[in-house]
Amino acid sequence: MTQTIDISSYSAITDAIRNEARRILSDSTVSAVIGYTAGRRKGSTQPIVITTADDADQLIFSAACLNDLVVYLTKAKKDVPKGGRIGIVVKGCDLKALVGLLGESQLKRENLYLIGIPCSGVLGSLLKPAAELTTETIASKCCECTDQLPVGCDFVPTVTPTPLPDLEKRYANEIARLEAMNPSERWEFWKEQFSKCIKCYACRQVCPFCFCEQCLCDRNRPQMVEQTPRPLGNTAWHLMRAMHLAGRCAGCGECERVCPMDIPLNLLNRKMAKELKELFNSEAGFEVREAGPLTSYREDDDQSFIR
Amino acid sequence: MHSEKPKHDFEPKIIAFVCTWCTYAGADLAGTSRMQYPSNVRVLKFPCTGRIDPVFILKAFQQGADGILVSGCHPGDCHYIAGNYHARRRFAVFRKLLEFIGVDLNRIQFSWVSAAEGGKWVEVVTDLTERVRAMGPMVEFKDLVLEEQWSGNLNNPELQAVYEAM
Ligand code: SF4
Ligand code: SF4
Ligand code: SF4
Ligand code: FES
Repeated sequence: MTQTIDISSYSAITDAIRNEARRILSDSTVSAVIGYTAGRRKGSTQPIVITTADDADQLIFSAACLNDLVVYLTKAKKDVPKGGRIGIVVKGCDLKALVGLLGESQLKRENLYLIGIPCSGVLGSLLKPAAELTTETIASKCCECTDQLPVGCDFVPTVTPTPLPDLEKRYANEIARLEAMNPSERWEFWKEQFSKCIKCYACRQVCPFCFCEQCLCDRNRPQMVEQTPRPLGNTAWHLMRAMHLAGRCAGCGECERVCPMDIPLNLLNRKMAKELKELFNSEAGFEVREAGPLTSYREDDDQSFIR
Repeated sequence: MHSEKPKHDFEPKIIAFVCTWCTYAGADLAGTSRMQYPSNVRVLKFPCTGRIDPVFILKAFQQGADGILVSGCHPGDCHYIAGNYHARRRFAVFRKLLEFIGVDLNRIQFSWVSAAEGGKWVEVVTDLTERVRAMGPMVEFKDLVLEEQWSGNLNNPELQAVYEAM
């Protein structure tokens, strides 16, 4: 049964963000604030970087604030002014990506001012940005979210997030469904999915962890991944991508959302996260990890698969 | 004298990614001791298992490998101290990924073979070769290669019309 999710707190959150942004910009705590503003279509939103207190009123928070803004802090993106402390609006999932980047020494905490959102969920897609947030339209990542309230921010509006109803765990269920198949059925499933890829690299563009100055798949001496949007190169690209993000992915779901071909990218990422949790008891969270699960080891790691 | 080599219908291609300090030396020992092992295995030498990137395995499959072996120094013996510990984690995870997309893990073997274990090298390589032989060719990636060249349907109406017009 479709149920409406209460997001009445979002207007209070909007007010609180505006006030805080105005304050930290006017007393020069930060040189810029990265947040969301209303988009052109009714209900839609888009990222914005504001640098003056007068612009604070442009900021909003709504169920259509899907973007993981953390990507703008990475060295791959040049939209944000360099120098000075930067303020940024983060939901719980976004914060996990930010914490991951702190752990990878890509960001310094003292250069950031974190405005956390007590989040009650966002929409799964921006196709209908003005749609009501319901148990149907809510993003899949929100269905499995355990981090509605960000931890360790500099400012969080004093609002309690709506406890999410018991939602269908879409990713977990789909992973279980695939795991129950036999290998050739799984191969067929992924072959079909990967063959859709047009190599637009939107998934890479939007991922906070794809900040490499030269992506392995763009290299041609030697060429490890064929660059054509054809089955062979696509399969290699997706497997390579899943490996590079294993142990790092924060599960923000942005890659999957931006994919124009509707490839379930987050299934791979979440499957890897699940395995890393089981194998090494390691998962993305709010605590900065000095080393990720694949950049560290224990001498007594399982080696039952090695002869 | 060499014993008569049995004839098989299918000779699998096995690619072995080995570290130079232990397994390569172990394979070398097997050779200099004149131990017999299947010639199906092609050995690729790396400085350390820590240098063996999962994309190498993908590349090998794309180029027609039917089975893969990754082998290096025993834990604690890595020439670079911890390369094999890192590799162990990386491959523990990569196996799971391959399994999830539908690759039969029986085609991939990981092992520790030291410079003194010529006999173990022979065992590992022989077992893997026979196992993969019984499984038959790895067709999944080869199909992708074919589709990479040509993904059109050979008997579609447009092509049919062209043929008929000729
Ligand atoms: S891989 Fe996707 S879900 Fe994971 S951090 Fe990158 S964009 Fe977010
Ligand atoms: S796919 Fe890998 S190499 Fe490419 S940008 Fe992402 S992390 Fe870097
Ligand atoms: S966004 Fe989708 S279509 Fe584009 S490269 Fe990524 S997986 Fe392929
Ligand atoms: S040198 Fe052999 S595994 Fe590192």
